[in-house]
Amino acid sequence: MDLKKLLRKIDEFKIITLPAIFIVFILFVLILGFYFFNALPAIERYGIDLFITNVWKAAEEPAKEVYGLAAPIWGSIYTATIAVLIALPLSICYAIFVNDYAPKKLKYPLIIISDIMAGLPTIIYGIWGAFILVPLLRDHIMKFLYEHFSFIPLFDYPPLSGYCYLSAGILLGIMVTPFAAAIIREAYAMIPSVYKEGLVALGATRYETTKVLIKYIKPAIISGLILAFGRALGETVAVSLVIGNSFNLTYKLFAPGYTISSLIANQFGNAVLYEYMTSVLYSAGLVLFVVGLIVNIIGLYYLKRWREHVSH
Amino acid sequence: MSPIKHKTIRMIKDKIFLFIVGALTLLAILPLFHIIISIIEKGLPIVLERGLTFITGTLSEGGIGPAIVGTLMLTALATIIGLPLAFLAGAYAYEFPNSFIGRATKMLLQIMLEFPTILVGTFVMGILVIPMGTFSALAGALALALILTPYVAVYTEEAMAEIPRIYKEGGYALGCTRAQVIFKVITKMAKKGILTGILIGMAKVAGETAPLLFTAGGLYEVYPTNPLEPVGAIPLLIYTLVQSPSIEDHQIAWGASLIMLIIFLAIFIPIRYSLKDDIKL
Repeated sequence: MDLKKLLRKIDEFKIITLPAIFIVFILFVLILGFYFFNALPAIERYGIDLFITNVWKAAEEPAKEVYGLAAPIWGSIYTATIAVLIALPLSICYAIFVNDYAPKKLKYPLIIISDIMAGLPTIIYGIWGAFILVPLLRDHIMKFLYEHFSFIPLFDYPPLSGYCYLSAGILLGIMVTPFAAAIIREAYAMIPSVYKEGLVALGATRYETTKVLIKYIKPAIISGLILAFGRALGETVAVSLVIGNSFNLTYKLFAPGYTISSLIANQFGNAVLYEYMTSVLYSAGLVLFVVGLIVNIIGLYYLKRWREHVSH
Repeated sequence: MSPIKHKTIRMIKDKIFLFIVGALTLLAILPLFHIIISIIEKGLPIVLERGLTFITGTLSEGGIGPAIVGTLMLTALATIIGLPLAFLAGAYAYEFPNSFIGRATKMLLQIMLEFPTILVGTFVMGILVIPMGTFSALAGALALALILTPYVAVYTEEAMAEIPRIYKEGGYALGCTRAQVIFKVITKMAKKGILTGILIGMAKVAGETAPLLFTAGGLYEVYPTNPLEPVGAIPLLIYTLVQSPSIEDHQIAWGASLIMLIIFLAIFIPIRYSLKDDIKL
């Protein structure tokens, strides 16, 4: 009888699920520890220079190897910023249109189209970007801007191949727009309808109504864009196919560059040939890991707080 | 300024606003149509020309058969590895939403959802490929499982959270233990949502490239048989072929993209339509 009582006290559910939770936590710690541990040799050797200089000298002799990751780190942030700047107007307009102005028949198709875009394999964006988007941008936009506006420093790099920061930024922008749009659309749909009714009753035009409502969901828009930024940072294959893959620490839009993830994708395969390169790439991974973690935590926290604020 | 004039300006502003919103929405979704049309335009000729060989043949015969089988194998293995973990973690996050571990689990799963996939690949390379000394389907599947797990877990948690509390209370009132209530009552009721999550997760990992770069290795001349040996995958093959300078390779890449697009849309659209009622407007 006592044994039976004891057995009842033991929660089978916890016994079954806790190992899974344990594995998930351990995995996370293991990944973080793994990157940190593997990055250590490079960080010890090059110190802070590893992150603030732009050099890439691979050599057979370990003594001659010098690496600096400034260009890829800059490239990641730069392209993700371009992507967010593109996603910002597109995703907000999409959210407004779907919620308020789209005819009923168009609503579901629009939402499903955007969801398909969010889930589409990134390699499909990659092949389209490399063979279709890049030549299109080069011939119609970059050449025009270079010929007529090259007095602006942003545009004064000759767009020879078209594989550059701008192409990567635009492709990333297309890829993260549906992601940001889904968050903003949901937030927009959560606005209590009394606000809208009140505004309309005051005689506000549609433009004026929307202007006020957009202010109401500003926190959700910001968190959507932060999460989109995080996603753009981590994107690998599509970017590495269009960015041109060269070390270039510049703000010029038409210059080829590198991002952290495309650097890893390109160099990791032959890194074992060199003493320090693997460790340098793991340091790059660590940077991506930590930056991504911070960006995503801020975005998720902001979004959660906003949702709680609205539902109360 | 006269009131009439003021009103006209407001009306004009309103019209311009409507036009911009409509135009930018169109611009946001336009790339998808452009992508689909380009892939059909470039991929269809090669698939039609090669016919069945394209789907079953090896790369030197001009087909992508081994890659298709490789993708299926990787996806299946990844599901087998990741599913139990994901389901249990999701169930835990559902049952204890307010405890510290429950909240931390949910947060962690959401962070893992946004985790850069290339980092998963290099991690698995470090812990599995280097010790084993060879690329393998197992390593690729493990990397994919790490990406699949948070997807399925989050969907499981959300699907379970939608079941009305009253069923849970009924279960307890009948004298069920917590495990029985969750695994027998709630799971069965949330079946549709959980299955959707699994399918979406599988569709997602089947299209992943970055985690396979340094784990799967690639195998396109013979069909894969052993999970401990290298294996190919359609996205990986496309990535390799796009970087090759030869036009012939590019054509195969377009053909493979078409096959992948068709598979993806065939899985994704029905699932999405079945979830139509869940969309809040």
